[in-house]
Amino acid sequence: MSAIFKYEVEEEEAVGPMPATRSLIQLSQITKVYDSGENEVQALRGVDVSIERGEFVSIIGPSGSGKSTLMHILGCLDSPTSGSYWLDDDDVAQLSGRQLARIRNSKLGFVFQTFNLLPRATIWKNVELPLLYAGLGRDERRERALEALKRVGLDKRAKHRPNELSGGQRQRVAIARALVNNPSLILADEPTGNLDTKTGSEIINIFEELAANNQTIVLVTHDPAIAARTHRRIQIVDGAIVDGDATIEE
Amino acid sequence: MVIFESIIDGIRDIKDHFGRTMLQLLGVILGAASIVATFSLSVTGKSQAMEYYKVSGGIQKIWISDKPTGKVTLNAKALASQGLTVRDALAIQRDTKQIDLVSPVSSETMTVRYRSVEKPRNVMGVAPAYSPMNDFHAGRGRFISDNDVSSAARVAVLGTERATEFFGSEEPLGKTITINGTGYQVVGVMEEKYFSFDKKRNVMRWMNRQMYIPITTFVTRKGQSLEQGKVAFMHARMKDIKKDKEAVDEIKQVLMREHGVEDYEVFSRVANLRRNEQQNKMYDMTFMICGLISLIVGGIVVMNIQLASFNERVREVGTRKAIGATPAQIFVQFLVESILVSAFGGFLGLFVGQLFCSGIGLLLRAAPTMSADTAIKALVFAAGTGLVFGMYPAIRASRLNPIEALRTE
Repeated sequence: MSAIFKYEVEEEEAVGPMPATRSLIQLSQITKVYDSGENEVQALRGVDVSIERGEFVSIIGPSGSGKSTLMHILGCLDSPTSGSYWLDDDDVAQLSGRQLARIRNSKLGFVFQTFNLLPRATIWKNVELPLLYAGLGRDERRERALEALKRVGLDKRAKHRPNELSGGQRQRVAIARALVNNPSLILADEPTGNLDTKTGSEIINIFEELAANNQTIVLVTHDPAIAARTHRRIQIVDGAIVDGDATIEE
Repeated sequence: MVIFESIIDGIRDIKDHFGRTMLQLLGVILGAASIVATFSLSVTGKSQAMEYYKVSGGIQKIWISDKPTGKVTLNAKALASQGLTVRDALAIQRDTKQIDLVSPVSSETMTVRYRSVEKPRNVMGVAPAYSPMNDFHAGRGRFISDNDVSSAARVAVLGTERATEFFGSEEPLGKTITINGTGYQVVGVMEEKYFSFDKKRNVMRWMNRQMYIPITTFVTRKGQSLEQGKVAFMHARMKDIKKDKEAVDEIKQVLMREHGVEDYEVFSRVANLRRNEQQNKMYDMTFMICGLISLIVGGIVVMNIQLASFNERVREVGTRKAIGATPAQIFVQFLVESILVSAFGGFLGLFVGQLFCSGIGLLLRAAPTMSADTAIKALVFAAGTGLVFGMYPAIRASRLNPIEALRTE
């Protein structure tokens, strides 16, 4: 299997304004306040997180803990109310919607609980999509998409549509889509939530392989068994991190 | 790149939801169809009218005819006036600047005989100007000449149907026919005149049923003096259609001088045409507005369905945004889709419009034909509908919050 996951690690820049030893992700004093009518809801209360390159981290916590909000901020889908968020060499905390879209396109890969593949397109087209938005030419898109599908072992199925695949296969397509732009970070939101235990475990195998090839992955889950397989668990309760490296009691 | 992919997506969307798309497009189809029908009808009508004017002597033609005055108190001159005469024709010819051709015509039913065939037939007394005025020429032999007129010669020229009627397969040229007891030598047979709006009825057939003698012969045979010879009507031709009013006024001045009372009418085809054009423009506008209204209604339906399909696709939009589609890219995608769908409706509308045209053809006996110009206009209008009414759904989609969108079940 591991041969499939040959993954080229980008050389870290030795020169530049930022020290080369800087963490991939550096969140400091992140707050997020939702203004829902009369009362403000404090979803995040000064969160500090740093994640190194190649780390395989899970975020765990009960529902309503701010886990999703943290995930959205990490995924550049949302901006924090205050605090700073360094991703690679960019401070992305206060970027515009368009700039965030560009960051998501070039530096992030998403894997969702419900796969979120476009039902009418072939899986090949699905995997091509991020490259389409990046403005790449057709041939390069197709080539790179097929390569990504190869890495999850689905290149033979490239011309199938999502509804012709099993749940586990669909999630592998989603992983291929997340990988195709060589992202700095893959964010997976309950990626095994819609899968049976065995298939879910296979998906985690893939993440482990990717992590072994120095791919940074952040995984949100409430499943302790899944969390136990990540390198580090960040536990969040009530909008604050209570444990930056929690142990799982099973 | 995104535009191209959106077009592919749009086509796939039309294919996947064919029934819904058809329903969505009904308004656009009908709108485009009525635009096609309107323009075709108007363009075809106009070109046919111009064609007709051309074969019947052009739009430079002016009619001059008698008109009862209805006045009781008249001066001596007015009382003496007997309406249009050969003299008037000569006066108009002589004293106007804007007129290059005057063709007085007398007309009466006379007894025409050749050998054993004798029939009451209409005979026209004409001047040589009649031929160019009506773009109607001798097919064989010659038409009435200036010499015929000045010498009041007893010569006749026959329309094709008259030639056949009296001579059958015999050669009419050089033969003598009798008109009201006097012999006339046949010097010419006219060409066959043909014009049809519906490719069935020849609206010029009556011209093939005429026979012509010199106007001088016509009036002197009736015992009138040449100058006082009564004329049924006259045609005149203006030199410059831009100066149609001057031409008409000149004729009126001459006639007023000659008659002392307004017992004549003068109409120009140009003025007529202008009046018609005004009217046609109104019809065109009315139909256009109908077409546009159905396009607007169609557009609203397109917008509704786009919004509905957008609600269905909130998750998809969310996913696209999460993986890095910018608002502009989402906007373009949705807009291209609705433009494409509407243009497709416009395309179908062309066929429906052609059906409308055929239907109108059954009623009018003149089927309007769709020109490429008209087809392009209809397509542009339809696509424009998609552009305008696709704007709102596209803006909504582009502004969608990806977090909310992904949370939607």
